[in-house]
Amino acid sequence: MINLVVALPAEARPLIAHYRLTDKTTMGAFRLYRRADMSLIISGPGKIAAAAATALLAGQNTSGEQAVWLNIGIAGHATHATGVSLLAHRITDHATGKSWYPPRLFDLETASASLITVDVAENSYHQDAAYDMEASGYYAVAGRFSTAELVQCFKVVSDNREQSTATVTAERCAQLLTETLHEIDQLLGALAALAQDCNSWHAAPAGLERLSSQWHFTVSQQHQLAELARRWKVLMPDRPLWLGELDSKKNAAGVLLCLQQHLDSLAPGLPQAAHVPRV
Amino acid sequence: MFDTLYIEKQIAGHARTQDICARFPNATRVECDRYGEVFNPKSQNFRLQKRRPSLILAHKHHGRVLETPQGYGLGGNRNYYFSHMLNCLYDCRYCFLQGMYRSAHYVLFVNYEDFETDMEMLLAQADNEPCWFFSGYDCDSLALEPVSAFMQHFLPFFSKRPLAHIELRTKSTQIRSLLKMEPIPNVVIAFSFTPQEIYRALEHKVPTLERRLQAMLQLQQAGWQLGLRFDPLIYQQGYQAQYRRLFQQLFSQLDSEQLHSVSLGTFRLPRSYFRNIVQLYPDEPLFAGTYSVDNGMISYPQSLEQEMTAFCTRELLQHIPESVLFPCTLAA
Repeated sequence: MINLVVALPAEARPLIAHYRLTDKTTMGAFRLYRRADMSLIISGPGKIAAAAATALLAGQNTSGEQAVWLNIGIAGHATHATGVSLLAHRITDHATGKSWYPPRLFDLETASASLITVDVAENSYHQDAAYDMEASGYYAVAGRFSTAELVQCFKVVSDNREQSTATVTAERCAQLLTETLHEIDQLLGALAALAQDCNSWHAAPAGLERLSSQWHFTVSQQHQLAELARRWKVLMPDRPLWLGELDSKKNAAGVLLCLQQHLDSLAPGLPQAAHVPRV
Repeated sequence: MFDTLYIEKQIAGHARTQDICARFPNATRVECDRYGEVFNPKSQNFRLQKRRPSLILAHKHHGRVLETPQGYGLGGNRNYYFSHMLNCLYDCRYCFLQGMYRSAHYVLFVNYEDFETDMEMLLAQADNEPCWFFSGYDCDSLALEPVSAFMQHFLPFFSKRPLAHIELRTKSTQIRSLLKMEPIPNVVIAFSFTPQEIYRALEHKVPTLERRLQAMLQLQQAGWQLGLRFDPLIYQQGYQAQYRRLFQQLFSQLDSEQLHSVSLGTFRLPRSYFRNIVQLYPDEPLFAGTYSVDNGMISYPQSLEQEMTAFCTRELLQHIPESVLFPCTLAA
């Protein structure tokens, strides 16, 4: 799943059109646009709004899988020309001084920059950094739902010392975003590939659902079952999670014991060389 | 090699920082207050980051040289370990670092002189008793030498202090700087090995056994003291034949009479690290087997541990005298 968080409708419009996010709903103060594998929420300006919108969007993801998060929007910068796109390598909340460092694990041409989130629009551009009003709120929340490598901030410079924020109209904003859609495509592609890898490592083996529906497992037993299922998938990747003896088990405890004994009866430690994948 | 360098503000102007930055002119430089801001946050994925780790240049403030756990050592009474670096260039699946750290970035502490001051203090307290300093537990001692110049800096310190012994533990073949120096009798370069089959399955990015053996031969010929480390011993069906082959390969070429020490220890991990690693690598065969939990440590069932240790000890003693064999008897 890909989650996009944007502050303004003008920033959202090109993205909604480009990604065909046709399913529109309103949740409280927020507008949400979706398709099967992507959601976009319009937070409104400010870091608190961004944090609230991010949390709301995170609450929609019940799959437990790692999702990609991308905050997209415009930003000011002292020296960069307007239209330059930047990926944040450090996000600093100006009010608290707290910083986050999104790791960059992909090859893209997009340059990176420090990004400072301010509470009121910045027109002095004191530091060699981009300035926005949402990133710190968004990042602090999104980072609680996905691993940091999948949570990124993409900004397009809309104003600088030569061109003040007064020159940034809704049309200009939409135009800036439209011009960087190909970069956003590449970025989302790279992030989605990382997320897919991450999620595939944790995919449950075939047969787990059958067990879960046939017996009642307490929460603690569900954890034990998940661990046994993990070992099963590694040791017997071609066999669904099932043993003939399970038919006679009256309860979940009996099922767990049976699976445990079966797995423990296999070789301890590293299985036979023939089973060890060459990476 | 590195696309991003994170640099602590405090050491941005340090000569070693400048030198290292100059080696990576195209890397993005990101300033931070403390390395922990980048390295320690919870929500990071070590496995993903291992694909493209960055380098963090930092200052080590406290706890630079620490006592080793009981059971570690090569016969000395005063044993310490230190880490000028956190994390390793290699990617061995059994390594505890994956479970200990949240980030796979490399942290390099550039204030080498402070480490030396601490060692000097410990030597002064030792009352003319030898002290052992172990390097290579939280990183590989040699692997990043071209960047860190770690040995180039530290070995002259040891050459002037005969009571200060150092073990440099490694799987690397970065021995150029050693070959340029005169051998130092109180410096031991200890190479770790597992059998070929285990190497292929678990020791990703590590130089081949043959290349490491060649590096050892060159060092031995140059007069350096060498150690062999078979730690961890990894179980596999048929492990006896695998380890026997490994020992034969090594001892048929190395001069075993010139070896400083050989140590061995079976695979074990603190339980919390094991859990973290399984979360990262749920699909790894090494973690799908049967393990025992004893005193917070995950290890093979005791009978298997004893069997493996006894077998490997017996085999090793066919090649080396007992006086240079040091089994690791680490208590939990």
